[in-house]
Amino acid sequence: MAQPATKTDYQGRIHNLQKDMIGRYYSRLTAAAEKNSGEKAIYMLISGSPVELIGAFDMIPVYPEVNALQLAVKKQSLPLILAAEEMGYSTDNCAYVKADIGMYFAGRKTPFATIPEPDLILCNYVGCNVYLQWFEHLKEYSKAPMYNLDVPFFRTDGDSEEDLRYVVKQLEELIEVLERMSGKKLDYKKLKRIVELSSETGALWSEIKKLAQRRPTPFDAYFDSVMMMAPLYCLRGTEDGLWFFQEAYKEMKQRADNHEGPLPEEKFRVVMEGPPPWPYLRQFRDMFSRWGAVAVASTYSGVGGIWEFGFRHDPQRPIESIARLMLQWNVTNRNFMQRYRQLKDYVEDWNADALVIHSVKSCRLFSAGQGDMREYFTKQLNVPTLLIESDLEDPRYFSEAQLRNRVDAFFEALEHQRMLAKK
Amino acid sequence: MGTTLVQHTQQLDSLFASCRESAQDPEFAVAKQWLKENPGKKAIGCFPVYCPVELIHASGMLPLGIIGAGNQIEITFADSRFQSFVCSIVKSTLELGLTNRLKFLEGMIFHSICDPARNLSSVFQRNFPDMLIEYIHFPQNFASPLGREYLASEYRRILNGLEQRSGHSATTEDLNRSIDLYNRIRAALREIYRIRAEMPHAISATESFVLTRAGTLTAPEDFLKMLEQVLREIPARPTKPKDRIRVVLEGSFCELPPIGLIETLEEAGCYILDDDFLRGWRWFTEDVPLRENPLAALAESYSERAYYSGTKHDSRETKAAHLINLAKEKKADAVVFQAAKFCEPALFDYAIYRKALEDAKIPHLLLEFEEKTWSFDRARSEAETFVESLLFD
Amino acid sequence: MGLRATHAGKDKERQGGMIYGGGVDVGSTQTKAIILSEDRKIVGRALINTGANVSMAAERAFRQAVDSAGVAPEGVAYVVGTGYGRYKVNFGNAQITEISCHARGANLLFPKTRTVIDMGGQDAKGIRVGEQGDVKDFVMNDKCAAGTGRFLSNAAETVGLSLDKIGPISLEAKKPVRLSTVCAVFVESDIMSYLAEGKTVPDILGGVHSAIAARTVALVRRVGIEPEIAFTGGVSRNIGMVKALEEKLGLSVNVCDDSHFIGAIGAAIFALERALGGDASAGSGKTGQVPVQASSQPGAGAR
Repeated sequence: MAQPATKTDYQGRIHNLQKDMIGRYYSRLTAAAEKNSGEKAIYMLISGSPVELIGAFDMIPVYPEVNALQLAVKKQSLPLILAAEEMGYSTDNCAYVKADIGMYFAGRKTPFATIPEPDLILCNYVGCNVYLQWFEHLKEYSKAPMYNLDVPFFRTDGDSEEDLRYVVKQLEELIEVLERMSGKKLDYKKLKRIVELSSETGALWSEIKKLAQRRPTPFDAYFDSVMMMAPLYCLRGTEDGLWFFQEAYKEMKQRADNHEGPLPEEKFRVVMEGPPPWPYLRQFRDMFSRWGAVAVASTYSGVGGIWEFGFRHDPQRPIESIARLMLQWNVTNRNFMQRYRQLKDYVEDWNADALVIHSVKSCRLFSAGQGDMREYFTKQLNVPTLLIESDLEDPRYFSEAQLRNRVDAFFEALEHQRMLAKK
Repeated sequence: MGTTLVQHTQQLDSLFASCRESAQDPEFAVAKQWLKENPGKKAIGCFPVYCPVELIHASGMLPLGIIGAGNQIEITFADSRFQSFVCSIVKSTLELGLTNRLKFLEGMIFHSICDPARNLSSVFQRNFPDMLIEYIHFPQNFASPLGREYLASEYRRILNGLEQRSGHSATTEDLNRSIDLYNRIRAALREIYRIRAEMPHAISATESFVLTRAGTLTAPEDFLKMLEQVLREIPARPTKPKDRIRVVLEGSFCELPPIGLIETLEEAGCYILDDDFLRGWRWFTEDVPLRENPLAALAESYSERAYYSGTKHDSRETKAAHLINLAKEKKADAVVFQAAKFCEPALFDYAIYRKALEDAKIPHLLLEFEEKTWSFDRARSEAETFVESLLFD
Repeated sequence: MGLRATHAGKDKERQGGMIYGGGVDVGSTQTKAIILSEDRKIVGRALINTGANVSMAAERAFRQAVDSAGVAPEGVAYVVGTGYGRYKVNFGNAQITEISCHARGANLLFPKTRTVIDMGGQDAKGIRVGEQGDVKDFVMNDKCAAGTGRFLSNAAETVGLSLDKIGPISLEAKKPVRLSTVCAVFVESDIMSYLAEGKTVPDILGGVHSAIAARTVALVRRVGIEPEIAFTGGVSRNIGMVKALEEKLGLSVNVCDDSHFIGAIGAAIFALERALGGDASAGSGKTGQVPVQASSQPGAGAR
């Protein structure tokens, strides 16, 4: 039977450390916005980004996606979304974009930072077609220069030499653009050092994720993972970023060795597919914790990069490995067959009891066709699968009673199956 | 003279009537008949927007436009795979597959246009493992020649896959012959559109639409003959201009509007001087040059000789510029933005277009539609209101 | 105190030697209550409109059901609340979703059930059921009224007929119309257009039923359709819908008069099992409601 909601946040040292670091990152943005620092702001997307290159030029990465989700978490997204809709954006457009555009026209001021205007709009098109539209629109509004870093969709199994060559050549073009902007040549040694930091960071992130294979998992690989993502994108390739993951690993390892999990009792292990409902993270989490359900793996925590299957940035081949991350080692550039395989690996290697698909209206990249995913997992693989719907940014699409009903029905059935199996 | 006129008119009308029929046929009778008459030949389905059909043709196969099922079939199976907030064409195309209507195809080619279409290609891959399912990644980087070079190599990859299925290796001559054939088709279509813009009473948008659509469902050699016939007969057509407003129409990416909707627009009082229906099949503004490297010529033309399309993401021009120029060039009174429900590219474009059209003081109407509609009363009211507001100004 | 002191555990007060289980299904429009005897016979039932005060509706329905059974409220050993208002069944021992309850209920009425199609006032569900009435998979469409009783009542109103007449009349359709929408709001204007065009009422109603059936079947296909199929919910009493569904499915469906009590019946079965077996933990303690332990008092009788 479900227990009343228990305290489910992992409010360890890591949580506060992350708040602190991201706070400093946002101060840096504000300083750039108010022209104090003179640092150049490069707008990028988190799915497979060449953030290492940006760092090598001492420029600041600005991620409209991260800004949008922060707005949702702080329950500030709706008025901005409405403002964008008044401008002509549709209710069916991705709400990340609407919140961001709304914010842009509201002076780019948020409760956590003032977001600087872009000095360069670097559209690292990795899978998501909405990215292209989003950045095109920002370009028209801000009149800033844009570079379309075209990353071919990962559509064939295995490596494609053509694809890699194309991306590497574009990265070289990008370097020329950044050199012109900064007035100095790329410090190749610095880039190598940064890529080395990324490599070590990725390795630690991979080890942390593997800790979730234990029983009980020391952290919730969905709700806690998505909290750990910001340093991965905003601070990857920096000493601070590495240090964060070193601390996170230490702490998680200790919890794992002490058999501590985020819940009093781990009853169900699930794999979570899809972005979270940012405006209702807490309520959503409680719907699962009351059943003793914890996530042991998630796909959304891999949007910016997947390291747990062996990929590492290579400081000896910095440009090429950055290209490889963007081409193959992130979720959004993968086709469904590859995503199904990844989910299957999670279910098997992380010993999960079920798959939960959180379908979000805004994001068709994730969601369009999840019915097929569900069919594959239930009918072909016999994995109990729950499909629920809401949105990642727009608070209007979250229906708590209905979601709860479905979650309850699902775990009731799972519990019942367990009981029958025991007899 | 009178009899010949009537004969011509009847011939043309009956041609359009048969086009209309095949345009709405979810069983692909015309294509299947051609395959029967050409035993050993195979067919490849092309999903929107633009497909380099010459590759298919040169490898010895028949390219067919698989563009949803319109309002002809009920969606019973595909609904379980794709959610309600996804455009209808994704579901109806999958429905065609799940109801075994695409068994006669050797494969399907998908392209980078939007997220749902991209995911659709994966769903096809999983559910129809015997079919050749290909996905063409069109370059989004036009700033340097890198994009073009990449596309040529992508075409090579696709051609290899096609050749394996057809059993025929396309030579340079094969490719150029196919390019030449499709050049002539596209030139004929450009001519029809030119006539529509100058004498919109001579051939209606509905007729031009069903003709083009029928062409995507038939062998190119036959389509060329149809087009030549139309161009021959049009001058003799007895029609008189009506009192209508002149509009250019945009917003069509994949999902085809029901024929009744286009008719409704015209009957409500619009001459549609230009539209982007089946843009992918009329992609080039001029002939693709015949060169020693046909793949490079096609790739270069994709980049340099193409009409504007939102899915091309050519950031060398601002989004709305082409539309404003088009409206001015054709001396249109207004713009109709006709977008399929849930169509992501269209809805994004509209946000920019709206402001640009307002700034340029060009009246416009936004019409959302779904392919599976049978009743057009609401659309008619909207269109008539719009027309009246312009006529009575 | 409340309607009844609740308790659970192996020692049950027996009412004339009988153990009873109670199920209360609180829906958005109607509340149903069922009392089951130990041998799984329906001995009491009630059906009332939910109205604005949900917990009162639950109480009233339960009272009516026990009255009709000739049993005292305290004589019901275990009560399970289900439906959207399940957390408002204050006197209940447990809350179980209506999906699980529908599966169990259908399994009692039609033991060979493998698929349940439920069409209620405001939602529609598909449930795949195992041999023991366990839920294998489920799907719900509760985002909009398409494919629900609401759609039908809007349609009925538009053609000026009462809800109970539209089913039989729809069967007289010669050429059912094709609706362009399954939106309960827009169906009205669609129907009005057809009426203006001169289409007959039977043809329009035939089209209405056909459209809903198609939509519902498409929904249930997500969990897979396997015979035997139980058709439950308020809409299952509509003979036109039964036929339309069978036509779309190409299979027959099982309906019975108690079709829309199925949720309450399933809940009562769960209640009975817990009362008899005692293997479930004592209540679920949801929304602050704490089960009261019976004080050890000898003998049967009222508390």
